[in-house]
Amino acid sequence: MENSIDTVIGINVTVKGNLYNKGSIQVNGSVEGEVKSDENIMVGETAKIKGPVIASKVEVSGEVRGLVEAKDKLEINPTGKIFGDINAHSLIIKEGALFVGKSVMPSKEGAANETKSEPEPVGNEAKKEEAKDEKDSDKLGFFSKK
Amino acid sequence: MYYYIFDIKKCKKRSVVADIKNHLAALGISGEYTYPSTAYTTEELIDLGISKKYNTIVGIGDDMIANAIASKLVGLPEAMGFIPIEASSDLCQLIGTSSWREAANNLRFRKIAEMKVGRLADGSVFLTSIELDLKNPTEITMELKDCMIQGKAANFQIANYNPLIRKIGEDWLDIVFQTVDPKESGFLSKISSMLGFGKEGQNDISLIRARSLRLFTSAQIPILAHGNVVAKTPQFIECSDENLRLIVGKKKI
Repeated sequence: MENSIDTVIGINVTVKGNLYNKGSIQVNGSVEGEVKSDENIMVGETAKIKGPVIASKVEVSGEVRGLVEAKDKLEINPTGKIFGDINAHSLIIKEGALFVGKSVMPSKEGAANETKSEPEPVGNEAKKEEAKDEKDSDKLGFFSKK
Repeated sequence: MYYYIFDIKKCKKRSVVADIKNHLAALGISGEYTYPSTAYTTEELIDLGISKKYNTIVGIGDDMIANAIASKLVGLPEAMGFIPIEASSDLCQLIGTSSWREAANNLRFRKIAEMKVGRLADGSVFLTSIELDLKNPTEITMELKDCMIQGKAANFQIANYNPLIRKIGEDWLDIVFQTVDPKESGFLSKISSMLGFGKEGQNDISLIRARSLRLFTSAQIPILAHGNVVAKTPQFIECSDENLRLIVGKKKI
């Protein structure tokens, strides 16, 4: 995410309410409410967001409890945790990341491909292996059912 | 046409005042020269200049006289000029020079930039920035249009113009503050951070953009502009709707 940041919520800062910006937003603190940007949103490792996160590109390294909607790309880093549904055109979930919720990936034709993720502790290798067997294409093991 | 107000506190050397006057005369833009005194305050002199139909009011001094003139001229057709003496580097960058001679030359070229200013609840304005006079980290609360922001701030600045911050829009104020962990502001944490066990490298700087905000602190804190107290918290701060017509250097946009 190479664009410059227009809004930064630092660590130890609490935001209650909706945070909207046309430019990029980086969150390192806590937000209770909607975070919305026309460009990018970066959820830092120390960030905790309770509410929807909506942007063109979203990168999650912290915790989000709520809908995450990325019109372009959603990336969940190893430290990232999402408890809620995600809606992204392109999705990257790195090893160690946690995602509990439903995933919708709109296709170019307009039809939505839906995937569900059950709550699953990270590092539960046995369950991961089961998931791997069920769906070979899901290499990270976060999506147990389709 | 030109109405000059000299801040005599900043023009301690008589020779500087004489040099400026001589230079303005040489440029052909001499006018009425005034000085704040017990008889007339700076604000009264500005009102007098406007009532005398001068179309350019020029302040000579630092940020305080610049802000005083801007407070009166914002939204008016009269242009504001400024010749810096001991002015902040931010204000010098705003007008495009730190040299009084060059600033005087710019008055003659009369390149006018229309700009917004920051405004406090009492109507006084600031061209560059204001900051909280924080002796210790203090709980602050900001009420913005759609949200409330809280944190324990160690440094806090609201900028209308700060050359280090890229503005996203001319009618937005840039709020920059550094916070500390409210749970770790005790004596032991100070020692641990001194010994290098602190959480250095964490992102403790916040940057918020807002057109207006209400600022509250746990205790009443003075608000400074260029080191001078201009207000106290709680305070309402906004970006002006009206423009100020400021004469700037040739290279400034």
